[in-house]
Amino acid sequence: MTGFLVRRFAISIFVVLVVTLLVAWAVRLSGDPAVMLTGAGNVTAQDLANIRQGLGLDRPFYVQYLSFVGGMLTGDMGRSFMGGSSVARLVGHALPLTVLLTFVSLGLALLASIPLGVHAAVNRGRLADQAIRILSLVGLSFPNFWLALMLVLVFGVALGWLPPSGAEGPSSLVMPAVTIAVILTASTVRLVRTTMLETLSAQYIMVARAKGLREWVVLYRHALRNCAVPLITYIGLQFGGLIGGVVVVERVFNWPGMGSLAFDAVASRDYPVLQACVTVLAVMIVGINLAIDIGYGVIDPRMRNR
Amino acid sequence: MRLSRNWLLALPLAALLAGSPAQAAGTLTIAQAQDPNNWDPIATFLISWGSVAGNFFEGLVIRDESLKLQPGLATSWEVLEGGKRLRFHLRQGVTFHDGEPFNAEAVKFTIDRLLGPEGKKGPQQSNYTTIGSVEIVDAATVDIVMKQPDPVMLTKLAGYGAMMVPPKYVTEKGSAAFALAPVGTGPFKVVDYQPKVSVTLEPYAGYWGVKPKLDKVVYRFIVEPDTQLAELQAGRIDIASNLSVAATGIVSKSADLKLESITGPTVVVVRLNTAHGVTTDVRVRKAMIMAVDRDAIVKQILMGQAETVTSFQSSLSFGFDPKQAAVPFDPAGAKKLLAEAKVPAGTAVALDFPSNNTTFREVAQAMAGYMSAVGLKVAVRPSEQNVYTNDIVPNGKTGEMFQFGWGGWTFDYDNTAYLMYHTGEHWNPYDKDATLDGMLDAQRLIADPKQREAKLQDIAHYVADHALEIPMYNLNTIYGLNKRVKGFVPPPDNRIRLQTTTVE
Repeated sequence: MTGFLVRRFAISIFVVLVVTLLVAWAVRLSGDPAVMLTGAGNVTAQDLANIRQGLGLDRPFYVQYLSFVGGMLTGDMGRSFMGGSSVARLVGHALPLTVLLTFVSLGLALLASIPLGVHAAVNRGRLADQAIRILSLVGLSFPNFWLALMLVLVFGVALGWLPPSGAEGPSSLVMPAVTIAVILTASTVRLVRTTMLETLSAQYIMVARAKGLREWVVLYRHALRNCAVPLITYIGLQFGGLIGGVVVVERVFNWPGMGSLAFDAVASRDYPVLQACVTVLAVMIVGINLAIDIGYGVIDPRMRNR
Repeated sequence: MRLSRNWLLALPLAALLAGSPAQAAGTLTIAQAQDPNNWDPIATFLISWGSVAGNFFEGLVIRDESLKLQPGLATSWEVLEGGKRLRFHLRQGVTFHDGEPFNAEAVKFTIDRLLGPEGKKGPQQSNYTTIGSVEIVDAATVDIVMKQPDPVMLTKLAGYGAMMVPPKYVTEKGSAAFALAPVGTGPFKVVDYQPKVSVTLEPYAGYWGVKPKLDKVVYRFIVEPDTQLAELQAGRIDIASNLSVAATGIVSKSADLKLESITGPTVVVVRLNTAHGVTTDVRVRKAMIMAVDRDAIVKQILMGQAETVTSFQSSLSFGFDPKQAAVPFDPAGAKKLLAEAKVPAGTAVALDFPSNNTTFREVAQAMAGYMSAVGLKVAVRPSEQNVYTNDIVPNGKTGEMFQFGWGGWTFDYDNTAYLMYHTGEHWNPYDKDATLDGMLDAQRLIADPKQREAKLQDIAHYVADHALEIPMYNLNTIYGLNKRVKGFVPPPDNRIRLQTTTVE
């Protein structure tokens, strides 16, 4: 187990390094932060050269990259090209908001998809199963930005129950979280249903029922536990996509999280901010996957000794 | 678990969970798309900076909503030595928001900083290079000594780089801190700035002029125009400053909202590639102008929220010639010119534009339609904005046509014409015309406004005669307002002024 963890950990660090290198290289392929800094305004070539020198962009690529990695290791993320705010401060504001949004969405999605999936599996082929399957197909077909705009129109504008944008209170969280959760629920329901169907045909379920256990104990204590491994694997795989979806949703709801921060940084070629965002998100995604690998052992005793 | 719980209790979240009250009386909330990120006057050229910072910074002169120069931190001024020396008599008893006195020292500090190594790092310095030095005559009088007369200098002193900054505060805190916590002499002071989220202003009790009636102004940075519209409809913002053309119908039909639109500083043209392709022939360029019904585009696509132009400037611009006639829409004439130039029907041309400009995307489609009617097959080519402005245009990688929007806050045609047409300029990849260069250089040396205006008008006519561009339109700035806002005057230069504004 220890050897496995060390190996997984080393691979994770390698992945993060490769990601940061790729991003640092790719973002420099096009565009010029010096021009964006001026709003493409009235600038001369000399102004641009001065600005580039001020930002340290006249140094060779490897020097810029190494100073970035060195900075990250010492906890100094540098300063934004746009206005010189501390990147650590920007990320420090944005990251908790994105983590909150992601985990609340994930929680909502699990809370909805597990009972629905189980219910569909138990009632296989009946009306409830059909209805849940059709609904999940509808959910899957929503583009997230469209769903977001519809929610805003109904609950933000027409009914006035929820704030259409911003991060001003718990009510601000509802619409963005629901938008992400709906789409995630739709796909997770199908997975829960399928794995539940497989599990329910197993002999130990028959035994459990024969023992006279109550149905919910059979389903949620015995059967569901055996669905956990594929479910957690799936959530882990979805996590990267989830973060991608967060970028769009954050923008529509003007949620000042990592997605909004990264999006602006791409548009303005704010290298320090973009590199820091990508690094932090990469660490998050890699970390979640690492946690899931470790989590297998906790959930499934058979995996502990492998 | 402990770690994640700490994260959740981090400051911004505490604020989030505490919630916020609905709109308070006396508080005006404005949404704007962009956070300028840096409030230092010498470090920016963003319109989004001007629309906020004009409320807390001031220059020696102030330009009002009708674009007239008014006394600002100088009560009067004299133009001496044929424009080589500008003498300013400073307003007495003015203090910065931190209590520091405004005086001749502050003027010298501000201009020296702008022209020195600190200013060199920003984009503003190049606008003020005609200034030689600042001489303090006495505590209440300063002279700006010019290297050469600069007819636009007084206007330039009313904005951006020449905004007066407090010497002691800037020296003690440093430019990096000043950029995030600015201090000026204006009617409002900055009380809170959350990067990417909002900036909050409150009236400055020690202001020398008309004191604002509002208790508080909050600018929220909301990128998506549709989100701004939703917030406006929900009554959570009072002014939306970036509405899409499509939203105008919704706002004007609403009982609680109203639309205020005004000529904006930005003019959009489609520039023509005079160095490569069929557009090297002036007849083809003229045919392209004649082929497009620009009035119809403004009416149908832009919902009338724009005005057609005859040159690369708005009707408010210095150098605008009201007598300059538009080239009429004439597809038959365009066909004839193309035939004369031996351009066969079905010739392929390309039109480049930045992909984030959704309004122009529709205009481009319409242009392609008009041009196909005269036998030109237009490929409509959107590119990511940064790539477009940094690579495709300055490096001359465009097709025969490329969209360009421009407009300086000074409203002086020189600002556009020189950068667009003068040989070797960054934004001019194709045009090389010694005659035009001569005209552009000559007008810069003329001190007499009337003479210079005539020269600028000649340049506009010359450009039209040589068909260097298809003049398109001057987009309005569209503000959506909650009707509870009173006394808001939409500014043609995007610099929102709030001294007379109230909220019911």
